[in-house]
Amino acid sequence: MSASRNLGSVARDWRQRDVRVVLSALVIAVATVAIIALFASQLQRTLITSASSFLAGDRQLEAEHGQPIPPEWREEARSRGLETARMVEFATMLSGGERFQLVSVKAVSDNYPLRGQVEYQPSPDGERQLLDQGPRPGEAWLNPRLMRLLELEVGDSVEIGNLTLEISGLLVREPDGGFNMTGLAPRVMIHADDVDATGVVQEGSRVEYINLFAGDEAALNAFHQWIEPRLEPSHEWESIRDGATLSESLDRAERFLLLGGSIAVLLASVAVAVASRQYAVGQRDTVALLKTLGLSGRRIGRMYLARLAVWGVVGMAGGLLVALPVYAFLNNLMEQVLEQDVPFVVDVPALAPALATALVSLFAFAYPPIRRLRDVPAMRVLRSQPGEPDGRAWTDIAIAVVAIFGLVWLYAREIMLVLALIGGLVALLGILAFLGWVLVMGLRRVTGGGNAWRLALVGLYRHRRSSLSQIAVFAMTLMLASTLVLVRSSLLADWQAQLPEQTPNHFLINIAPEAVDEVEAFWDERGQGLDTVYPMVRGRLTEINGEPVRQVVSKDDSVNALNRELNLTWMEDLPEDNRIVAGTWVNDQQQEGVSVEAELAAELGVEVGDVLGFTVGSDIIAEPITSIRTVQWESMKPNFYMAFPPGGALEGLPATWITSFYLPPSQKSALNDFTRQFPTVSLLEVDHIIERIQQIVRQVTQAIEAILALILAASLVVMAAVVSATLQDRQREGALLRTLGGQQSLLVRSTMLEFGLAGLLAGILGVLAAETAVWALQYRMFGGEFRWHWAVALPIPLISALVLALLGRWQLRPVLQVSPMLLLRRLE
Amino acid sequence: MTDLSSGPSQPSEPILTVSNLTQRVELGHESLTILQGVSLEIKRGESVAIVGRSGSGKTTLLGLLAGLDTPSEGEVVLEGKAVSRLSEDERAALRARRVGFVFQSFQLLPALSALENVMLPLELADFADPESRARELLERVGLGDRLTHTPRQLSGGEQQRVAIARAFACEPVILFADEPTGNLDNQTGQEIQELIMALNREQGTTLVMVTHDETLAARCERRLTIDAGHLETDQEVTA
Repeated sequence: MSASRNLGSVARDWRQRDVRVVLSALVIAVATVAIIALFASQLQRTLITSASSFLAGDRQLEAEHGQPIPPEWREEARSRGLETARMVEFATMLSGGERFQLVSVKAVSDNYPLRGQVEYQPSPDGERQLLDQGPRPGEAWLNPRLMRLLELEVGDSVEIGNLTLEISGLLVREPDGGFNMTGLAPRVMIHADDVDATGVVQEGSRVEYINLFAGDEAALNAFHQWIEPRLEPSHEWESIRDGATLSESLDRAERFLLLGGSIAVLLASVAVAVASRQYAVGQRDTVALLKTLGLSGRRIGRMYLARLAVWGVVGMAGGLLVALPVYAFLNNLMEQVLEQDVPFVVDVPALAPALATALVSLFAFAYPPIRRLRDVPAMRVLRSQPGEPDGRAWTDIAIAVVAIFGLVWLYAREIMLVLALIGGLVALLGILAFLGWVLVMGLRRVTGGGNAWRLALVGLYRHRRSSLSQIAVFAMTLMLASTLVLVRSSLLADWQAQLPEQTPNHFLINIAPEAVDEVEAFWDERGQGLDTVYPMVRGRLTEINGEPVRQVVSKDDSVNALNRELNLTWMEDLPEDNRIVAGTWVNDQQQEGVSVEAELAAELGVEVGDVLGFTVGSDIIAEPITSIRTVQWESMKPNFYMAFPPGGALEGLPATWITSFYLPPSQKSALNDFTRQFPTVSLLEVDHIIERIQQIVRQVTQAIEAILALILAASLVVMAAVVSATLQDRQREGALLRTLGGQQSLLVRSTMLEFGLAGLLAGILGVLAAETAVWALQYRMFGGEFRWHWAVALPIPLISALVLALLGRWQLRPVLQVSPMLLLRRLE
Repeated sequence: MTDLSSGPSQPSEPILTVSNLTQRVELGHESLTILQGVSLEIKRGESVAIVGRSGSGKTTLLGLLAGLDTPSEGEVVLEGKAVSRLSEDERAALRARRVGFVFQSFQLLPALSALENVMLPLELADFADPESRARELLERVGLGDRLTHTPRQLSGGEQQRVAIARAFACEPVILFADEPTGNLDNQTGQEIQELIMALNREQGTTLVMVTHDETLAARCERRLTIDAGHLETDQEVTA
C-alpha cells in the first residue's frame, strides 16, 4: 500500500471517534514522556554544572605529595575538546610588613576556575566582584583575615620565598574552597607561572598538584578511561559525585527523576493501551465486512499493521510538536527560577523512550485483538455465540505487560525500580481480583429502584466488566501518581532534616586546651552558643590485631583513611545523629575501647572485639573496638572516625579542641574581634558552602515539584481518556433511562455515586499499591525508613472519588441538555 | 407507588389530544420547519399507524407525542396533562408510569443481559419485584431460555422481543413504536407484529406506531398520513 494512500486513510480514519482517541492518546503519551525525559536530562546537566563549581571544574585530578602532573595529559584532554586548568597548592611562610605568617598558597593558571566564580574585592571596603579568573603573574590576592593579621593594604608587597609580589586585591571566596581540616593556614592566591620563581616548591616538598577538566560528559568519561591506566596510587580522580554531602542529594534527585520518567512511561502506556484496545475491539464489524468482501486474514492483518504504523508515526510527530514548545517553556522557567543561563539543548537520545513507549504500547494493545478477529469466521464475528467468551485477552495482556515493563527497564536500567513498580501493580491486581469477586457476590442481590444508591450499586454490578477495568486503570494511575507524591515528600523531608535552619556554618579549630573556656565565654557573650567542643588528637591507624595495617588491608590505596592522619577524639555522650549498629556505647566507668565509624569498619573488615593500634606522635596505643556507629557526614558538625571514652587511651596525649556553631550573616563582623583576640585559633567559614548546598537543594526541590505537576496533569488526562472511552455507551444508556422515565436528578445522583464509588475504590487500591511500591523503593533506592503516610493515604481516595464523580457528571451533560429522542438518534 | 393496573376505561375518551403542533429546528441562520400545525385526537385503546415518506416528520411527531421532546408551538395533552407545560422530571415520571416505547434499532443496553434490560423500567418505576415480573414477560415473548444472554448474543428478532417485553413491563396505558419491524426480515417482522398486537389486546394498551410496513399499518384502526410536516389524511381503516 503506498504511503499516500495510507495518509489518505489516516485522514479518513480521523473522522472516527475511536481513532481520534487513539491518536490523542499517542500524542499525549509521546509528549509527556518526551517532556519529562528532556526536562530531566536538562535538570541533570544544570545540577551537575551547578554542583561542579565545588570542584572549579567537572573533574579534578589530584597528585598528593608527588610529582607534577605530566603536561601531555592536559594536552590529551584538550585534543578531546576538554577545557583544562592547573593549580598548585602548598604551605609556606609569607613575609609582609616585617611580619611572617604561615600561609596556604594556591597558584592557579589563566583559565581557573572552569566552573563557578572567584569572589574578589579590590580593597577591604570595595565592592565584592565575581570573576572568572585568578590573579595575574606578579600579583597576589590575600585572604581578608591575613590582611588584618599582617596589617597590610592593597598595593603593598609581600614575599613568598625568593619572589616579591604586589597585593592587587582580596580573595573573599574561591569556588572550590571546600574544607579540609589540614590546610587551615590563611589563603594566598597567586598565578601558577610564578611558582617556580618562588623557589619554595622543590622535588619532594609537600605540595599538591591539581588539574581541572571541564566539558562534555561523554568526552570526560572517555578521557577518564584513557587516563585511568596511567594513574599512580597517589593520583586521585574526583568528580562532584565523590563528595559526601552533595553526591547523596544529587544521587537521590537523579533517582527521583528516573522514577518520574518511568512513571510517565507507565502512564503513557496505560493511556495508549486503553485507547487502542477500545479501537481494536470496535473493529469487529469492519473486520467481518472486509472478510465478507473476500479479503484474506493475512491481508487484513497487513492492512491493520500498516495503518497502526502510520498512526504511530503521526502520533509521534504530533507528540514531539507538543513536547518541544512545552520543554522550551519549562527551560525558560528554569532560567528564571535558577537565575542562571540554561541553554536550550534537545537531548535526542532522551527522546527514544518516548517514541518506543508509544509504538510498543500501540502495537502490543491494538494488534493482538485484531489478529484474533482475523482468524474467526466472518459470521461468528458478526454475532458471537452464547457461551463464547467475548475476549480471551489474558495472553494479550501478558504480552503487553511484559513489553511495558521491558520499556520501563530500558528507560531506568534499575531492576529494583522495575520490581517495586511491578510489585505495586501485582498487589493492586490481586486486591482488584478479590474486589471483583466481592462485587459479583455482594451486589448480585441488589436490585435497582428509584433510589440513587441502589441504582449506583446496580450500575457497578451490571457494568462489572467495564467497571473493574476502569477501576484498574484509575487505581494504576493513582498508584503511580501517589508513589511519586510519597517519594517526593519523604525526599524533601530528608533533605530538610539534613541541613536544617541554623546548621552550624563556622568551625573553630586548634583551640588550645586552656583557651576553651575563654572561647566559649566569647561567643556566649554574643548570644551564639557553641555546639559540643571536642578534643582532637591526630594519629595514624597502623595496626589491626597486632598486624601492620598495610598487610591486613590489601587494597590500601582504596581506604583513604589509611593514607593520612585521623582526628581521634574522646567523648562521653554519643552525638545525637550517630547510631550504634554493633556493640555498646561506653558507660561512665569504662575507660578502655574505641568506637569506630561503620563504613570505615566495613572497609577495614574489622568487628567489635578486634584491636586497633594507633601511632600518635611517638606513642603507640592499642584498644579493642567496643562499638561501631554510623555518622552523618553531611551534618556540618565535627564528625570522627574514632571515638574513645573520656579518660581512656587518649588521656594525656597532646590535644587541641574543635567545635562548630551557627553565626547569622548579620553578625559576621564579630569574627574580626574573635581573630584579634584569639589569633592562634583557626576559623573555618563554611557558610557559603552551606548556602550553596541549600541553593542546590532548593533547585532540586523545584525540579521535583515541576516533574510532579507534569505527572499529575498526565494522570488527569489518562483518567479523562478512560472515561471518554465508554462515553458513548454511557450516554446512550442515560438517554434510554430518560426515555424509560428516569428523572434527571436521579440519573445525576446515581451516576455521580457510581463513579464516586469507583473512584473511592480505585483510590484505596491505588494508595495501597503505592505504599507497597514505596516500601520497596524506600528500602532499596532511597535508603529511607518506611512508614505509613496517612497525610497522603487518607485524602487520595476522597479526592479520587470527587474527581471521578465530577467526571461522571461531566460525561452526562449532553444527556441532560438534549432531548432523549435526539440523543438516541445521534448515537445510533 | 403508582397504580399500574388502572383498569380499562371508556373507549371514546381521548387519551391524547394534539392541537396545532409545530416543530422547527434552527440550522444556523435558517429555520427548518419539520412539522406544521398538526392537530389530532387519539382515543383510549385505539391503535393508530402514522405513515409517510422518509423525512416527512413521522418520527419527530412520535417523539413529541411521547413527550420526549418539546414542540416549538402547539400543545400535547396526554392523559389530561399538557406535556409541554410539565417539567422535564414530571415528563419523566409520566413516561415511567404510563408510556412504553419500541424502537426500530431496539435500543437495548449491550452490557446488560436480556433480563436486566427488561428490569430497567420496572426498577425506575420502583416496582416491587422487578425480576420475577421481567422473567414472566420474557417467557411471554418466548425468550424464557435466553434470560442471561446479552444483546450481542441474540438475533435481531430476539432483540426486538426483549425490547417489546421491556415496553410492556410497566403495563403502560400507551405504547409508542417507531418502525418496530423496520430492521427485520419479513418473516420475523410478521412475528413481531403478532406479538405487539397480542400484547396490546391483552393489556388494552393504546398503540401509536410509525411504520412503513403496509400490512402492519393495515392492522391498525386508524391511519394518519404525514407529508412534508403536514397531516394529510386521517382515516379509519375498515378491516
